Amino acid sequence: MIGTVHLLIIIAVVALATFATRVFPFICFKSRAPPEILSVIEKNLPPMILLLLVIYCLKDVRWLAAPYGLPELFSIGVVAGLHVWKRNAMLSIFVGTGLYMALVQLDVFSFL
Amino acid sequence: MQEKNTGSRYTPDQHEKLFITSLKTTIPVFLGYIPLGMAFGLLLDQAGYPWVYALIMSIFIYAGAGQFVAVALLAAGAGLAEFAVATLLLNLRHSFYGLSLLTKFSDVGKVKPYLIFALTDETYALLTTTEVPKGGSKARFYFYITALDHLYWITGSVLGAVLGSMLTVNLEGLDFVLAALFVVLTIEQYFHSKTRLPFQVALGTGTLSLVLFSPDNMLLLSIILGTLALIGHEKISGAKPDLKNPVFKKTGLSARPAENLKFETEKAIEQEIEKEQKQNPEEEKNQKQNKEKRS
Repeated sequence: MIGTVHLLIIIAVVALATFATRVFPFICFKSRAPPEILSVIEKNLPPMILLLLVIYCLKDVRWLAAPYGLPELFSIGVVAGLHVWKRNAMLSIFVGTGLYMALVQLDVFSFL
Repeated sequence: MQEKNTGSRYTPDQHEKLFITSLKTTIPVFLGYIPLGMAFGLLLDQAGYPWVYALIMSIFIYAGAGQFVAVALLAAGAGLAEFAVATLLLNLRHSFYGLSLLTKFSDVGKVKPYLIFALTDETYALLTTTEVPKGGSKARFYFYITALDHLYWITGSVLGAVLGSMLTVNLEGLDFVLAALFVVLTIEQYFHSKTRLPFQVALGTGTLSLVLFSPDNMLLLSIILGTLALIGHEKISGAKPDLKNPVFKKTGLSARPAENLKFETEKAIEQEIEKEQKQNPEEEKNQKQNKEKRS
């Protein structure tokens, strides 16, 4: 266990480091214009990052052991299919999450 | 300045509508942040720290993975430099988020520092994909979404620290709600995007990073690789003339079509303003004459 003051200093350091990563680009381009190339890729960054966040959610899946990531892939497939079909965000997210919870809690793929 | 103007333009009724829309928009994040925050609070509680530290950390640090790593480092008795370096590396991806929000955040006024401070993965995903409701203030809408997400995270972590060990509800799998949210937002981006390039790049670099890098590093490294790929593609294809667009064929402007377009419209707007300014003195004279006639 660490003393209160030491702990508060640690929290302050972590908070400042986190804020630094978030504010960095805004400070960088506060007084000067961002390079041209940035304005061109600016639009493409969010869709790329969002899809990378989806893939990131699969980072802890063990693909080589049962159930081979099937609960994740199947649920993502259902969310995507449902959303392309109905375009109702709440419906897609709730059905997908409910399905995933059932799949892992009831261990549906245990036969594999 | 911007904020003062918006303050008078919108009615309390519109603010309420905007708030309710924000509540609805952030429901998935609520469902994700409560259990995730509780997991953090529980972890901190088990490490022997009172709940008030969960509160302080979630208010001032407000970074999911960052806070989990901080607890691990606390347990390991790490030094201050280790805390700083680990946090910087872990959250460096947020710098890329800011890069794509420079324009979007340029006119939000006094809430800008807070929006930047509280820019998590989930808030970034919502802000870049959700459209501001018609007739609503962008600054206010962004602020509501960001602050609500922040509040969910704080609530979750305090709940976890206070009563985490007493809970017996099986919430296994509820964290999938954030993955589902990202899937839905990606599809929305796909429908609104004119180019398939960012999705192809993400599939490529994401899968590669999943295979090559450790789970802790893959997100940052895949974002860096992907950004480099986007820049590389632009450098190669941007130099070629845009043959698909007849406007630029005619005028011979080929290198940076988007910019030239912007330039043209800006010119036109400037000309319009000049015209108006020239007309205005005459109008004022006419109005004065009219007034004099009436009196």
